Amino acid sequence: MVIVKRKQLSLFERLYLPEIFRGLGVTMRAIFRRKITRQYPEEPLVTNAVTRGQPRLVVNEDDTIRCVSCGLCEIACPAYAITIDGQETERFIEREPERFDIDMLRCILCGFCEEACPKDAILMSNELELADTSRQALIYDIEKLKRPVSSLQDRLDYVYKLNNRWQNSSSTS
Amino acid sequence: MSLPPETIPAQAENLPTILVWLIKAGLIYGGLLGTAALMTLAERKISAWIQYRIGPNRVGPWGLLQPLADGVKFIFKEELVPDGANRLMFRLSPMLSAIPAMMAVAVIPFAGKVEIAGYDLGQLSIAKLEISVLYVLALTGLGIYGVILGGWSSNSKYSLLGGLRATAQMVSYELTLLLAVLAAVLLSGSLDLETIGLSQGTNPLGWNFVRQPLAFLLFVIATFAETNRHPFDFAECEPELVGGFHTEYSSMKFALFFLGEYCAMIVMACLTTTFFLGGYQVPFWAGAPWFIQLGAFAAKAGIFLFLFLWVRWTLPRFRYDQLMSLGWNTMLPLALFNLFATGALVAMGWSSWWMLPILVLCLVPTAWILTTRGSKRDAAASDAASFANSPLGRSVTGLLSLAIPAAIWIAAQEGTTPW
Repeated sequence: MVIVKRKQLSLFERLYLPEIFRGLGVTMRAIFRRKITRQYPEEPLVTNAVTRGQPRLVVNEDDTIRCVSCGLCEIACPAYAITIDGQETERFIEREPERFDIDMLRCILCGFCEEACPKDAILMSNELELADTSRQALIYDIEKLKRPVSSLQDRLDYVYKLNNRWQNSSSTS
Repeated sequence: MSLPPETIPAQAENLPTILVWLIKAGLIYGGLLGTAALMTLAERKISAWIQYRIGPNRVGPWGLLQPLADGVKFIFKEELVPDGANRLMFRLSPMLSAIPAMMAVAVIPFAGKVEIAGYDLGQLSIAKLEISVLYVLALTGLGIYGVILGGWSSNSKYSLLGGLRATAQMVSYELTLLLAVLAAVLLSGSLDLETIGLSQGTNPLGWNFVRQPLAFLLFVIATFAETNRHPFDFAECEPELVGGFHTEYSSMKFALFFLGEYCAMIVMACLTTTFFLGGYQVPFWAGAPWFIQLGAFAAKAGIFLFLFLWVRWTLPRFRYDQLMSLGWNTMLPLALFNLFATGALVAMGWSSWWMLPILVLCLVPTAWILTTRGSKRDAAASDAASFANSPLGRSVTGLLSLAIPAAIWIAAQEGTTPW
């Protein structure tokens, strides 16, 4: 049981009107305060390396995809948003995805795929806008997911920094 | 039946009367509906500013076309009539809510003699009645029928409760409203709105809000209750009653209720201006041209329209018992006392400047006795002492100690004194 002690109001507060005028003063000051609204389409959200936006596939400078279709991100994905079919390739890495779909309607932007990836091939970009007119259009295929490595370099550096931090602080174990 | 000659508006020299009426009606009703539309925008803008937001700004410059966009949206919405509703009353009540509020504007004097391009159009009000105060108050009282019948005919318990609350509230606060108005009527000795306005003179210190401070305060509070605005909006009370009396309404019927509410607010702002702020008179300029008088009237009424919005986004809603207690235990006795004091002053032929000293001398001890019964006395004394030492308390007591001798001095200058 909780006994709530009501605050004993002073005579002036019980007269009620003065307190109303004080409240009106508060709202009047608020009218002239700086507005915090962001005019969204004109002023987009400020993003940086830490922003965990939609996952994207990294494309090397020589136009080859980094992904080796190992399927770790597919396993890690808690929302079952990723579907990968692999195929052989003449390149040194021997395997590359034939099909790499992310259902953006299922994706919860958790970043597990990025953590799971051993090749830094899938990264969380700073792209946040997601709107279309059909569900089918929001299942992104490999062509829609490809991004040049230069545009994801900030995120890549950030991920490396993050991993190093964990390495350095793991002395207790 | 023909009207007695003095109730017909002053006729133009060289324009047909019907044309004069049409011009005035167009001006006044265009202004009323335009202001009501702008009020919906202003409500959203000011609520936004108070909450550190910007508010609607997408439709037209500064969102000025927002009311138009809202209107178009309302027209294209589906109109629902709930099962078991009383169809006739359900259709009728939005009109019952909007029409009286609009009719009440007809007798409000917005400016003195209007002259356009050499034509004399007479006073800027649609009709000139000797008893326009009665007419206006009767119509504002009628406005509640739309709310009650709308709530009852919807066949919904939320609506019914909203309507019932509105009724009880209206009965409680209309008394205070009328008694506060009567004080102003007593001072001017007339039931004509224009005479009441003009009798206050062009000096702002002679206006009724100075000579009748208590009646002014009570009237303003009662207008909030009368128009079902915050903190008295028990008829729509969203957290308890969904939407109150208009829960079941959609499309243009819903819009009509809101048009009625905003028109009622405009009427009440105009009435406050006329009764307590000297009507359309420009300070210290008796012979101002009509458009400047109209501007002065609009500015004064605009203060109260802003107050409606300002208060709405500041105060929380009352509890129902608080509402009743405030209405019957506080405002009604104060209004009766104020009417009695005013009547005594008028009957004895004393100056109305005595009101302020009388109010302070009578009400402060009464409030002291009523609020400090029994064991609370010591605590109240220390409260009062700490208040008197606070900056606000010093300024209030300082202001009163200046204002009371000033009022007594002015009253003594005017000749008739109690001694």
